[in-house]
Amino acid sequence: MLGGSATLDGADLLELAPDKRAKAGLFLSFQYPAAIPGVSVANFIRTARQSVRPEDLNPAKFRKLVFDKLDTLDMDPAFLGRYVNDGFSGGEKKRLEMLQMAILAPKYAVLDETDSGLDVDALQSVGRSVNALRESDEGKDIGFLVITHYPRILKHIPADVVHVMIDGRIVKSGGPELADEIERDGYDGVRASTSSAQAEVAAARV
Amino acid sequence: MSSGTETRGTLAFAPDAASLDAALASLAEHGDAHDAALRREALARFEELPAPGARPSRGWKYDYAKLPYEDLAWTFGRVELPAIPPGPAVPPRARADETGDVDRPALATENAGGLYHLGATFVDAPGNVDPRVTLLPLDATTARDFAAQIEPALHHVVDWRADMFAALATAFRNCGAFVYVPAGVQVDLPLQLIFANGEARDEAVFPHVVVVLGKGARATVIERHVGDGDPFVCGIAEAHLAEGAELDYVAVQQAGEAARVMFSRGARCERDAQVRWHLAELGGALARTVLSARLEAPGARAEASALFFNTGTQHVDLTSGADHIVGPTFSDTVVRSAATGRGQGRYVGNIVIRPKAHGSDASLRDDALLLSKRAHIDSIPALEIAANDVKAFHGATVGSLDEDALFYAGSRGIARAEALRLITLGFFEPVIARFPGESLRDEIRTALDRKIDDATELGA
Repeated sequence: MLGGSATLDGADLLELAPDKRAKAGLFLSFQYPAAIPGVSVANFIRTARQSVRPEDLNPAKFRKLVFDKLDTLDMDPAFLGRYVNDGFSGGEKKRLEMLQMAILAPKYAVLDETDSGLDVDALQSVGRSVNALRESDEGKDIGFLVITHYPRILKHIPADVVHVMIDGRIVKSGGPELADEIERDGYDGVRASTSSAQAEVAAARV
Repeated sequence: MSSGTETRGTLAFAPDAASLDAALASLAEHGDAHDAALRREALARFEELPAPGARPSRGWKYDYAKLPYEDLAWTFGRVELPAIPPGPAVPPRARADETGDVDRPALATENAGGLYHLGATFVDAPGNVDPRVTLLPLDATTARDFAAQIEPALHHVVDWRADMFAALATAFRNCGAFVYVPAGVQVDLPLQLIFANGEARDEAVFPHVVVVLGKGARATVIERHVGDGDPFVCGIAEAHLAEGAELDYVAVQQAGEAARVMFSRGARCERDAQVRWHLAELGGALARTVLSARLEAPGARAEASALFFNTGTQHVDLTSGADHIVGPTFSDTVVRSAATGRGQGRYVGNIVIRPKAHGSDASLRDDALLLSKRAHIDSIPALEIAANDVKAFHGATVGSLDEDALFYAGSRGIARAEALRLITLGFFEPVIARFPGESLRDEIRTALDRKIDDATELGA
């Protein structure tokens, strides 16, 4: 980071170790999540949930939560016995990210290029999982920040606010119609006012 | 505590002729010195053989030629405990794994009977052993009564003439076990051979295990080394598998902190026979293990799954060997090792595919994880292939913990220490998963978990 600050509900994120950021309520969905061979998905998500929320859920309730979320995400329970991201396809990795997001139910979720490398089915699945979480009791207050190069993910995850970021700066903000505009006209209109060749869309619902 | 007879010779051990003479005199008093000539020959061999191993690392602190043997008692004997009325049988546990699927019925080690030795003293206590199995201490009586069954295995599988510690074990044998599973008998409950050592006296223990499986027989043997004492254990385990027999041989070494445990284990496999070695070296100061398999007829198969985790100043020296004498025969070796603190490890993986072993398939995979700057593990593969038309695979890695995985776990709220634990345990999982029975697998996981707790220097 070159300058500025990053705070979460007033806490300086840059001061916090990764696990403390998660405990503060931040969830980051990775573009390329790491594999952890030998550690089952079930063991990993149970350890994560206990770390983030040490107080709650007995094993039976946790199990129910997991199976409910699997059902929502249309994921095979056999997933739980596999090793974390080990030998997973791109789509499977993203689904596992969504499963963890649903189970950890953070305050804020950052979906960083979650749509990259996904086919239509996988993209729909990601959309379903985000929407299901938004509609659930646990998820209704979550703020989502979806970072993408392609407005198509916003067909599956309706955005409340759209920001266009170029060279690390938000150059334009608007409602969902801004995404439609970009979809129709490309980035050219936005790019015309800047010298950068690269643009990212950040769609936020906070 | 002892209610029955106790016969016992006790003398100060030294690896020399005077000590062996005294041992033989003591054995003769109890009618058990029939193999004196062989023992003397073995001691002579011990004295002339070079110390095993190559390329010790800079941190390796033992010289096999100069191991100290002071204050060790050589003894043998038998204590009979009163029969304990059998408790209610506990049905083998069926366990559901995390996905809710029920695992195959677990090999319930908590129910399994076997033979128990305290030091070199056989403790005769009735246990839960399948009546179709012969399980006896390996003494002169057993050797006489089962001469025909023992013959193909005893001294014929592990080549004691080629290894100094196997030679020493042959010379000073003072305890052991004979397992015989007749043709066609398939035993579900594991047979346990427990070698325990107390703190009261440090012993020189020389066990000799002989396992003979008849045609189509199947069994699981679990050899354990436990206790708080600091013995010098130097043993041999030899298995002969007739056509189509299957043996799971598990060795779990959790000896005391200053214990030294040297063991040579070997199997001969006839047609379509399968031996599966499962080794966990967890305790002791120094452990040296040789696992070998001779694949003597088509269809024979050897699997070896081994792990060690050296903490503090523990040293483990592991050699595995698969000898493909004819083809097609198959071997599959997986080793996972980790070291932290000043732990030192060495793994030598030998595969020999002889000229007549066409169509054979051998695979050897070993991965080592170094968790501290002063820990060291050497990996030395040796493939010798003299036949065409074979498949041979070897892969090895030595590395440290994956920082990406640690960061990823951290991003999910898992603190670094907990992430280290998860990832380290996960590293061993491919080997643990090959151990037979969920209760044994859980036991290994728990033991590794405790070692991680104790390894305060982890990640330093």
